[in-house]
Amino acid sequence: MPQHTGASSPLTGLNNEEYLSLVVDGDARIDWVSRYSPVLNGLVRRTLSDGSLKGRKIAVVVHLEAKTAFLALILADAGAEVIVAGSNPRTTVQPVVEALRDRGLVVVADAGGDMNSWERELLAAADHEPEFVIDDGAELTMRIGRHRPELFRRLKGVSEETTTGTARLLAMEAAGKLPFPALTANEARCKHMFDNRYGTGQTTLQAVLRLTNRQIAGATVTIIGYGYVGRGIAEHARRMGADVRIVEIDPVRAVEAHMDGSLVGTAEDMVPGASIILTATGGMRAIGESELRRVDHDAILANAGHHDLEIDVDSLAGMASSQTRTRPRVTTYRVGERDLHVLCGGALVNIAGGSGHPVEIMDLTFSVQGLGAHVLVNAGLAPGVHVLSKELDDSIAAAYLASRGIRLDPGRAEQEDDFQAWIDGMPTA
Amino acid sequence: MSAHDVDEALAGSGQRKIDWARRGMPILASIEARLVASGALGGHRIGISLVLEPKTANLVLALREAGADPSVWAPADCVQEDVVHALRARGIKVFADARASEAADMELARAFLATGPQLLVDDGARIIRLAHREFPDVVRNMIGAAEETTSGVRPLKAMHDAGELHVPVINVNDSRLKFLFDNVYGTGQSCVMTLLDVTNLQLAGRNVLVIGYGWVGKGVALHATAMGARVTVAELDPVKCLQALHDGHRVRSVIDAAPSTDVLFASTGIEGAVTPGHLEAMADQAILCTAGGGNYELPMAYLKTLGPPRKVRAEVEEYTLPNGRRLLLIAGGHCINCAAGEGNPVEIMDLSLSLQACALEELASDGARREAGIHPVSREIENAIATARLNASGASIEPMTPALAQAMARW
Repeated sequence: MPQHTGASSPLTGLNNEEYLSLVVDGDARIDWVSRYSPVLNGLVRRTLSDGSLKGRKIAVVVHLEAKTAFLALILADAGAEVIVAGSNPRTTVQPVVEALRDRGLVVVADAGGDMNSWERELLAAADHEPEFVIDDGAELTMRIGRHRPELFRRLKGVSEETTTGTARLLAMEAAGKLPFPALTANEARCKHMFDNRYGTGQTTLQAVLRLTNRQIAGATVTIIGYGYVGRGIAEHARRMGADVRIVEIDPVRAVEAHMDGSLVGTAEDMVPGASIILTATGGMRAIGESELRRVDHDAILANAGHHDLEIDVDSLAGMASSQTRTRPRVTTYRVGERDLHVLCGGALVNIAGGSGHPVEIMDLTFSVQGLGAHVLVNAGLAPGVHVLSKELDDSIAAAYLASRGIRLDPGRAEQEDDFQAWIDGMPTA
Repeated sequence: MSAHDVDEALAGSGQRKIDWARRGMPILASIEARLVASGALGGHRIGISLVLEPKTANLVLALREAGADPSVWAPADCVQEDVVHALRARGIKVFADARASEAADMELARAFLATGPQLLVDDGARIIRLAHREFPDVVRNMIGAAEETTSGVRPLKAMHDAGELHVPVINVNDSRLKFLFDNVYGTGQSCVMTLLDVTNLQLAGRNVLVIGYGWVGKGVALHATAMGARVTVAELDPVKCLQALHDGHRVRSVIDAAPSTDVLFASTGIEGAVTPGHLEAMADQAILCTAGGGNYELPMAYLKTLGPPRKVRAEVEEYTLPNGRRLLLIAGGHCINCAAGEGNPVEIMDLSLSLQACALEELASDGARREAGIHPVSREIENAIATARLNASGASIEPMTPALAQAMARW
């Protein structure tokens, strides 16, 4: 158990006892994460202990709960000066914030904020002049670019968490506006193969069921988007007894959904009859006004993608004659004779309405981020978007397997394809 | 607190929960409409003894709409206070207090029986047994009762065999429409998902040991597998063991499976199913919980000898065994979906509680004609409820034709 510094919280109205109980709660949550994070505690701590992070200013801007806090602490333990902010105003957990402050980290976010206070928090993070950013949705990177151009030119590197943020960074690079190296953690296999699929898949359903007390067996579930996230949700829902339908604009992914056993079609056809509708496109307005007109009475709508606007709640509010808080985190919009239930205001349901990804998943994802930060500091990458090397990706998987006592066969020479002999026997072009 | 005190704020919160549940209970609503039209339950005093939460509250309110005079009892650990106040605000007599001692619960149960219920919905046969012991006049005037659970059916059969059961009881628990769904999908889904909610962990890649392969164990194994677990089943009955094997699970004795178990679900409903020896064979940091039954399945007395547990997280306590290994107990070993979650999903309880409403309707229409003893739910009721649910889901049912009927009758 760490020593408490007794530093006071910027939150007003908390006496010392209340503050300390928040810190103790936050510490317990972080300790729980540490218990199930063998890769971060082993491989990543070892790699970062070479002293190269000492005194480097790193901003961590990811959903601010216990798992993110643990990554921030590992970077701090390696000697970095860590600045912590949240990547969404609705997902910050105050006990975790206080536990980090108590251990001397700079935290510029607090729970209970809105979009305005969040913008201020991100600018406050920028004003601490980070050299490196561990970002989610490229939210801080984009704001530094827009509002702090001097700092933007001085940034030494960004490591990005999500599909959405990767798309943004690639667009910045294409526009010639990426003057620093960016690692897309999302492209690492140890990230998207597990985080997006198993993490978001499991926890999205978990949150929907917990918030509604509804049943998945026998339900018709329509999922908009069949990327890794959509696939993960579909797989978990199907195995729990749901009839799964998929809406996808990419023809190849649509074939995959079809062969995976889902009914595939347009939103116009797939939305009516669904009792649960989930968005997983990573874009915006996947469920817009025309789709909303076709949603069944009493259907549940929730979002699993980065944007709070995948379900166009603004349009919905405009169409509705009333809005009621039916249950905690359930808003019911009355549209004509239909009631549509939106979870968490359309924010990421697994984080805003649950505890986010499972700890073991974030052990992998944040290992990618932790090693990514080490690469950015040490490797002297050129400006542009980069992917974590296969060697490092493999090393994370190997550490994960070793921590569970799983051993693999080494590849043997005789298993290799004999194409080289064939090529040697061909004439030179 | 009397059976009539109402706290307005609590009542509002309870009513919102009841309204939400009602949205997912279309079958009960259709039965309510039929009972309102037929008046079959009009004027009947009906005692309801069920876990007092939003879904059962909808059964109570449906019976009242149908013209019956319902009153409610539940023991303290099965009471959601806001639901109590919501029911009282609607004029229902509720004999329950979330803070009552065991003795006070019994006094409330006596006051409840003193209202002289003619029909009874019971859970664990608690009220039927109390009535037979202490309220012979109430038993004499009782038309009949319906029983919800496995643990109530057993003592009722014993009473019947001893010639001591003096009312007809419809055994709702053993209806296909109950155990095939409530136990498998309701308890299975909610227990597995509650574990994930409480721990923020994965089951993917974990070894899960399910002890007991009854309907609940089957449901837990099914949902754990859906979440990516490797499931091992421990079970006394060799035929059920074989079934588990064919369902794709490994079958081992508890002692053989314990060392490689990451998460143990006890779903036997039997006291002492897990022994201190089993716990000592488990690996460090294994997780323990129960699904369907209660903490009597786990060696709680032994765990208590280990000293006070360390609270590591809400609903998670850590015990350290003499061998130095740590075990994580979820929700004090109580049935995890009710103790740390919201219980069964709404749609499941729509089926189970609709069965109860139909059982009451049948008992009332038979009146004194039905003999004392234990009666199954009729096929007509089961089929009508299943059909209603299928219709609500947009399903259609293959129609029977004369040709098919003839073919089936041929020999």
